[in-house]
Amino acid sequence: MPPRTGDRDRCVTGIDGLDTILYGGIPRDNTVLLTGSCGTGKTSLALEYLIHGAVSGENSLFISVTENSEKLLMNIIPYKFFDRELIKSGRLVFVDMPAMYERLGMTKAELSMEEIDLLVAAIGSLVKELGIRRMVMDSITSVCYKLKTPEKIRDFILKLSKTLSDLNCTSILVSEVAAQSSAYSTFGVEEAISDGIVLMANMERRGDLLRTLQVIKMRGTMHSRAKYVLDLTPVGVLLVPLLKGGSAGT
Amino acid sequence: MKLTSMGVPALDDHLGGGVQKGSTVLVVGGPGSGTEFFAKQFASTGQEPVTYFTSTERDEDVLAVMREHGWRTDINIVNIGTKYYEGVLAKKLEISRFRQEGITLEDIRRIREKDAHREENFLTFLAYEISKLTPPFRVVINSLDFFLENYDSAEVLMAMRTIKAHTQHSESLTLMTVLKGVHASRIQSSIEDLADVIFELDREKVGHEFKKYIVVQKVRNRPGLVGILPCAFDQSGIRTC
Repeated sequence: MPPRTGDRDRCVTGIDGLDTILYGGIPRDNTVLLTGSCGTGKTSLALEYLIHGAVSGENSLFISVTENSEKLLMNIIPYKFFDRELIKSGRLVFVDMPAMYERLGMTKAELSMEEIDLLVAAIGSLVKELGIRRMVMDSITSVCYKLKTPEKIRDFILKLSKTLSDLNCTSILVSEVAAQSSAYSTFGVEEAISDGIVLMANMERRGDLLRTLQVIKMRGTMHSRAKYVLDLTPVGVLLVPLLKGGSAGT
Repeated sequence: MKLTSMGVPALDDHLGGGVQKGSTVLVVGGPGSGTEFFAKQFASTGQEPVTYFTSTERDEDVLAVMREHGWRTDINIVNIGTKYYEGVLAKKLEISRFRQEGITLEDIRRIREKDAHREENFLTFLAYEISKLTPPFRVVINSLDFFLENYDSAEVLMAMRTIKAHTQHSESLTLMTVLKGVHASRIQSSIEDLADVIFELDREKVGHEFKKYIVVQKVRNRPGLVGILPCAFDQSGIRTC
């Protein structure tokens, strides 16, 4: 009998392995920190989450902070389930954060407390206008560099999570960490205040560089805390449990 | 000494024919003292082509005053005020709307490359425009206050020095207006130190009337010329009386 995991409605990510780990999906309205060093597959996983949402009829928003979204789309994995019609129909929307900064006159290197409120409100109004149910911000770390102090970062993430949650939007905030870092986030604040943490990493095994995924924390559900090996394929992310005995090569 | 007219005949007489070519002239005065009017009368004279930089009026306002007094209108007006409005103020207005109302997807999509251009430095623009002029020229900068309000004073002084040097070497003439009693005294003193000639437009209340004066504060190397000239403003412009 599957374990009871509370009554919270689930946002089915569509990534089979991940939904299994989470006993059905991300609890709705949660804000999840997807963290990892570069090349671990964060953006691909986040994109897949949105595409599955859009395919199943949920309006999905990708806010690109680091990369120009047109360039991002050029490099997207040729997923079997991805149809560009999703973008044309407005089911899947890409927005560049620099464009929002520009519109809001936030061109200075550091944002004030008031500007943080305005930025959160602007994201909120966009989510509301488009009826967004799934959102990805890639990456939150780039936004944090404009906030500078832990107080402001805390303020921003708390307000953003609250706003998105109130609008019934289940969100993934992509966070970048240095490869050797043992922390889950660059500024150390992001991890403490999100509803969930999914850690992605690279792992060398027998001369091969494996991608791994591990759910560290997820409010509102039971979940496996085991490390999984992740494979990015045109049919989507494949996850298999990491075989513990394999590392010795015996 | 090669002299050139300031545009106010009686003032020229007082100066023994005008100011030396290559001079940078500063006109100082409180609000309503007539510095802008003085600048226009200055622009109306001389053989040189005139370039009039303004940060306070529209082109048609400048030309209307010139026409009204029968002065030359073949001057080149460079409107920094309009550029500032279009480049900075209009954008600020738009930003305040976005901040107030939030942004829609349409607003974000409407962004074109041209919107993302960097804010223009008008001080650099001013110095660059003057550097392009073919000497000898006659330049009016009305007013320095705009630059002092928007840029670091050290930057403004550096630009003034550049303009002054260019004016001097090309035997041209530059007139700048500045408000009195607005800027820090250290800045005011530095600006006055840079200028070769300083006129202050002053007035005093006597009974029910203003008595107006052109105070010749400084004429470089001709200290004997400083003095106070009572003056009046009428249809022909500023005249001394």
